Amino acid sequence: MGNIFDILVVNPMTNVLLLIYDVLFHNYVLAIIVLTVIIRLATLPLTLKQQVSSLKMAAMQPQIKAIQEKYKNDPQKLSEEMRKVGFNPLGGCLPLLVQFPILIGLYNAILRTLAVNPLSLLELGKHIYGFLPNLSSLVPVNSTFLGVLDLGQPDKFFIIPILVIATTYFSTKLTTPPSTDAASKQTNQMMSMMMPVMFGFFMLSAPAGLGVYWIVSNLIGIGQYYLMKPRLDLAKAEHAAAAAGSGASTSVSAPAAPRAKLPPPRSKVKPSSSARIAKPGADNK
Amino acid sequence: MNRFSVRALAAITAGAFILSACGGGEPAPSAFPGLMVDGNSAYLASNLYVYKFDVQTARLDWQFPASIDNANPRGPFSGVPAKMGDVIIVGGSSGTNGAYDKHVYGLSNQNGQEVWRFTPPEATAREFVAGVVTDGKLVYAPNGDGNLYAFDPAQKDSSNQPKLIWTFSTGNRLWGRPLLADGKLYQGGLDHKLYAIDAATGKQIWQFDKISAPIAAQPALSGGVLYFGAFDSAFYAVNASDGSLKWKTPVGGWVWTDATISNGTVYFGDVQGKLYALDMATGQIQWTYETRDSIKAQPVISGTTLYVVSVDTNVYAFDLNNIKKDATGKVDYNNTKWRNDTIARRLVSEPAVVGDTLLVPVFDGDIKVWALDANTGARKYQFPLAPAATPTPGK
Repeated sequence: MGNIFDILVVNPMTNVLLLIYDVLFHNYVLAIIVLTVIIRLATLPLTLKQQVSSLKMAAMQPQIKAIQEKYKNDPQKLSEEMRKVGFNPLGGCLPLLVQFPILIGLYNAILRTLAVNPLSLLELGKHIYGFLPNLSSLVPVNSTFLGVLDLGQPDKFFIIPILVIATTYFSTKLTTPPSTDAASKQTNQMMSMMMPVMFGFFMLSAPAGLGVYWIVSNLIGIGQYYLMKPRLDLAKAEHAAAAAGSGASTSVSAPAAPRAKLPPPRSKVKPSSSARIAKPGADNK
Repeated sequence: MNRFSVRALAAITAGAFILSACGGGEPAPSAFPGLMVDGNSAYLASNLYVYKFDVQTARLDWQFPASIDNANPRGPFSGVPAKMGDVIIVGGSSGTNGAYDKHVYGLSNQNGQEVWRFTPPEATAREFVAGVVTDGKLVYAPNGDGNLYAFDPAQKDSSNQPKLIWTFSTGNRLWGRPLLADGKLYQGGLDHKLYAIDAATGKQIWQFDKISAPIAAQPALSGGVLYFGAFDSAFYAVNASDGSLKWKTPVGGWVWTDATISNGTVYFGDVQGKLYALDMATGQIQWTYETRDSIKAQPVISGTTLYVVSVDTNVYAFDLNNIKKDATGKVDYNNTKWRNDTIARRLVSEPAVVGDTLLVPVFDGDIKVWALDANTGARKYQFPLAPAATPTPGK
């Protein structure tokens, strides 16, 4: 399995990273930035799909809760109803799962090309493409940035860990879908605090080059969020409106469910023009 | 904070500790162990410790440091230890995540206590991954900062450290051991050059700069010719007198093994896992053998048997008097004298032959060395010795 992952993901990234490094005047930081941008752009459709899906699931939470409560003793009916309203628990995860190996691959490619120790240099030697001329002549890459920061060593000035913490915090904060209940809200809040601290802590002992990748990746993620925000807002409003519509439908078809248990669907969505576009969903009842 | 939050917090904290390698136990090594045999004693620099053990019984004589002292960390260690009188010399090496130890240690052969410690004066100094060489007076230590340091343990500087005699600077890391011969040092560098240096003065005699890739192997010298491979997937013969090229043979991958010479043939492996036997005079390939992963360790010859270890975890023995190759020069996978595939750990360091025992350093895991029967490949013992079997109650 490790070999397949190497062949399909890590090896191509390692060699592409070296090629970019060659083209970009042997500037390793620039090479990391460009490769990260390329990968984030290539996975943009997946990112978008995942974020829309997360928002959709978040918007549907009140409706899902009501269905779960109502059919808690009838699993078959529960799954039928969940399917009817379009609930897909893996909808947000699958695109993320596809992205995960890519990120792990890039992480490994950076470690290899930096050749921070003899073992990583040996790994690089095994996986460098012989058919691409002169890649071996680029080894070892110039891992010094601005003459002071050795990308193969932990950053002794703590600038990289601090930037990792800051960008991870903002990135997590922005991309975490809003929660509807208090417990998950609290968990999200804690995660948005702990994740940056965890990564910052990790960066205290990791090669600074990895931190550069992480910072760039976070910044791109933040940029993507703002670029996609109008579309996400639209999707959010559509789903909230649709959820409100089918939520009402559920309560009609299942009178046993006390209506009071369904939270007012509109209260979670800010009124907007896009919400009005989504109205037809509610007309189905 | 509710119960879920507490659990999540605990999980994240644990994850952070794991990620930053703060867990207990010996961390995975990232540099290659080195083994040196002197009489009945074997010296092994492997990960966090240097060991001295008896080659017949595998009894541990000492280890350095005796225990891990976080207040005064030493190691990791790698590279072949050197012996100078009654002192064993090892270099601090490279660890995970770019950590390193930038000292060279002189240890008492009797008890493993630190006798002296050399610290390079350069602020840029890093790891000594390949080990050191000595002529009995000076110690020559290649460093990851690109400097080759020559120091005299018999003389002390103002801070009571071995006195630095000279420093030879190159353009990149020195991750290979120099060859010391006839008062000259031949040092390959990751700066793509091979240097000939006067061992007494540290002055450059010549440099060979016709290679466009790093050199991390120690050259072998025979008949006034240096033999070494490089990361440009080629093997070179260079005249030791003036650094002129004699021949060059392209091979299939980076060459990091030190070459072994015997009876007009030079043996080495590449990181793609192929073993080569080349004619010393012409560079023509006589035969090859493919292992299943990188060959990093120097092949070793004892009598007429060639021993090779591979990252594929196998030990291979070839009878040099009975090499059966096909029309293309390939030796079939099964045409070995014997093959041991029971170690199941990556093998990256030169084995050593002591009598009829082959000592094989192991890269990772709790067992540091396997001793095999040099004639059959059968296991003899392991170092450290397995704990004595506990008698089963009732039997």
